Amino acid sequence: MNHENDTTDPAGPLGPEGPSASLGPGTGAEGLHTGAVSLDAAPVAEIRDLRVEIDGRAIVDGVHLEARPGKVTALVGASGSGKTTTGLALLGEYPPGARIGGDVRVAAGGLAGYIPQHPAAVLNPARRVSALLTDIARSQVRHLPRGRRRAAARERVLHALAEAQLPDGEALLRRYPHQLSGGQQQRVVLAQALLLGARVIVADEPTTGQDALTKSRIVDQLAAVAARGIAVVLLSHDLDVVRALADDVLVMRAGKIVESGPAERLWSAPRHPWTRELLTAHADRTPPAPSADSGEPVLRIHDLVARHRDGGTHGRPTTVLRVPELALYPGTCLAVVGRSGGGKTTLARCLAGLHRDHEGEILLDGTALPRTLRTRDRAQLAAVQYVFQDPRAAFDEHRPVLHQVARTAVRLRGTDKVTARQEALTALTRLGLPEELADRLPGQLSGGELQRAALARALLARPRVLICDEITSGLDTINRRALLELLTQLLQDRDDLSLILITHDLDIAALAHRIAVLDAGELVEQGAAPRLLTAPEHPFTVSLMQTTARLGRERGADVGV
Amino acid sequence: MSGLRSFVARRLLLGAAQTVAVVLLVFALTEALPGDAAVALAGDQPDPARIAAIRETLHLDRPAHERLADWALGLLHGDLGTSLTSGRPVSTYLADGFGPTLLLAALTVALLVPVGFGLGVLAARYEGRLVDRLVSSVTLAVYAVPEFALGVLLVTVLALRLDWLPPTAVGYGTDLLGHPAALVLPVLVLLSRPVCSLSRLVRAGMVDALASPYVAQARRYGVSGAKVRYAHALPAALAPAAQQLARTIDWLLCGVVVVEALYVIPGLGTVLLDAVAERDVPVVQGLAVVFGVLTVLLNLGADLVTHRLAPRAGVAA
Repeated sequence: MNHENDTTDPAGPLGPEGPSASLGPGTGAEGLHTGAVSLDAAPVAEIRDLRVEIDGRAIVDGVHLEARPGKVTALVGASGSGKTTTGLALLGEYPPGARIGGDVRVAAGGLAGYIPQHPAAVLNPARRVSALLTDIARSQVRHLPRGRRRAAARERVLHALAEAQLPDGEALLRRYPHQLSGGQQQRVVLAQALLLGARVIVADEPTTGQDALTKSRIVDQLAAVAARGIAVVLLSHDLDVVRALADDVLVMRAGKIVESGPAERLWSAPRHPWTRELLTAHADRTPPAPSADSGEPVLRIHDLVARHRDGGTHGRPTTVLRVPELALYPGTCLAVVGRSGGGKTTLARCLAGLHRDHEGEILLDGTALPRTLRTRDRAQLAAVQYVFQDPRAAFDEHRPVLHQVARTAVRLRGTDKVTARQEALTALTRLGLPEELADRLPGQLSGGELQRAALARALLARPRVLICDEITSGLDTINRRALLELLTQLLQDRDDLSLILITHDLDIAALAHRIAVLDAGELVEQGAAPRLLTAPEHPFTVSLMQTTARLGRERGADVGV
Repeated sequence: MSGLRSFVARRLLLGAAQTVAVVLLVFALTEALPGDAAVALAGDQPDPARIAAIRETLHLDRPAHERLADWALGLLHGDLGTSLTSGRPVSTYLADGFGPTLLLAALTVALLVPVGFGLGVLAARYEGRLVDRLVSSVTLAVYAVPEFALGVLLVTVLALRLDWLPPTAVGYGTDLLGHPAALVLPVLVLLSRPVCSLSRLVRAGMVDALASPYVAQARRYGVSGAKVRYAHALPAALAPAAQQLARTIDWLLCGVVVVEALYVIPGLGTVLLDAVAERDVPVVQGLAVVFGVLTVLLNLGADLVTHRLAPRAGVAA
């Protein structure tokens, strides 16, 4: 245990009201931290010496945390470092069967709000948006005479919605969660916390897997929450967001806090080696090897138009993707970037034969690829391989990883089982998964390990084209860097392999030789990566770069760690 | 909601086509059976001349398609035809049989819904504990017993041995409400399996819902336990149960042949059984129309309820 700003005043029990006049300047809608940490405001939530133990193994050990009104306290660390367990402790929730030690206190009767990674998950699909909001409000109007309760509760709900920047509350309350946009869902969840009167809000990975635009919107929203005098506890491995929001940062590793302090001190002068590694992982950018746009392209797309048919409604199919011309050269990497819903994944699925509703030509080495998996022969199947975003969903949970990886060689190349197993072991070891890990079931591997196994499985087909669809977006910075390094290494080692990186992250796109930009299904710009990243031509590309730059504004200033 | 309205319209059209198909199939199958109403009427004296005479008076000597066309033409005017054996209009058969069947079905559903949902919620609330294991294993065991076996068992024990209840409804006619004791055994048998399937479905849905993040959020924000269970978890668990309930009601209304025969209740099942035995084609067809329409409407209703409970799933016909 090693924490540095132990400023806890052991005397003061938490009062019922945290912030009276000491809101400070707030973080403002700009979403940048103000820097000045006012130690005069009493913490509205406090964790002292928390220890959470499952089966004798401590998953959180000796954690101290203070959440002050109007301030953002960030818990950073790799997946499995104990961030979420600590955050949920503020809500009074612990893993089943856990032994708890230490002290958790929250002001204002323990009211704490929670904003999860996926807001849709905490909205009941079978109930209207109003359901939980009304239940929360009802409990607050019990002192009123029976006849006036309903109106008063409604009043409160609408007020909370308006405060969460949802002005048209009346109409919204009648809708079901699936009828709201992702942004509206997030605001409804925020409105629940505001309605509750929470003095502290725990935001759990609120930006993970989101595109730059959504991220910056969430950052603004959390900044606005803090500006209202609410303490925000941010659990994240997204350092851009932490940098933009946090006043105080606690770095966690293996259940312990290895370093803590005001954000800018931590950023400019990290003391613990682990913090340094975490920050470097972020700043790392591998410049691409010289591009070789020469010779015949391995894959060429010509006049591709893909459509989607909406289930149920018998409307006409909507065109979701239009790519007049796109080429992938052997031994190179092409990044396809754009916002969520921009058609990136549809493009990848067309190439892999997973989306049959398309027209136009996809040529592999000059021969047209059939439109669906079923009509492709073994060699064609092996030639185009796909690694999905969620590695857990891509593995059968009941069979060992090694077995599933080896299966590719058996199925697609006709290798016998013993050889396939050998090859799979070699591939997995090269990607950093030793035999004792590979022989386990998928449930016993971490997300990063499983994603590497998925990569090995695709490589065992000896593909010409490897499609990586957001394969790093579920991973923390350290795993992400390791995986990206593997990909660059692969490209150098195997010159017959070409990569297609589907990503919303321009930092990852910078690893590619060429970049293609998709906006609302249209290919708006493509070109060599260095050119496109320094001098984008299309306004959409420019805006994409600006949103990314906004989030990482300070990165250039203090990367020198 | 125009999408929903066109969905209902399409489903009704499809349902009409399905009913027609059922009627045609039933007609073809009855034709394919050996013997006809004339043979059945001739009874103990199967004299070929007499059978031919009966055939002629019943117009059974006409080609099958002509008889079907006549009957269909009548149906368009709301006339279900007349029975071959008694000459009474088919509609009176249906009206007479529908009363007892409806009574049995209504009683069963009135008990089924609270018991089925209650047991399901109870088991889910104590998932993995003694109550849950008890409910789960008993429902599984009871579900494995067929109606006729349970029916015979109950008659033997409760009616014949202990003499607590009348073994059958013989002699009460269609006035079953006047003799509630006669209804206890049939309703018990009718309840036995649906309660099990329904409570198991509700339990499974509730276990999922109670473990869901949205229920955790409701608990976290101070909503009371009972309210969380019934207002937040149960609605999400209802969709599959609604479908199962519709199938059960359909099964109950379409004449539960085994139970009605066992307890001698003059419901639609008994009407159907007699009509088939007598090759009374118009009555069988009339029943096929009624059962077809009921099935279509009940399933449509269940789909609408499901759509309301799981709005994300969308609707497809």
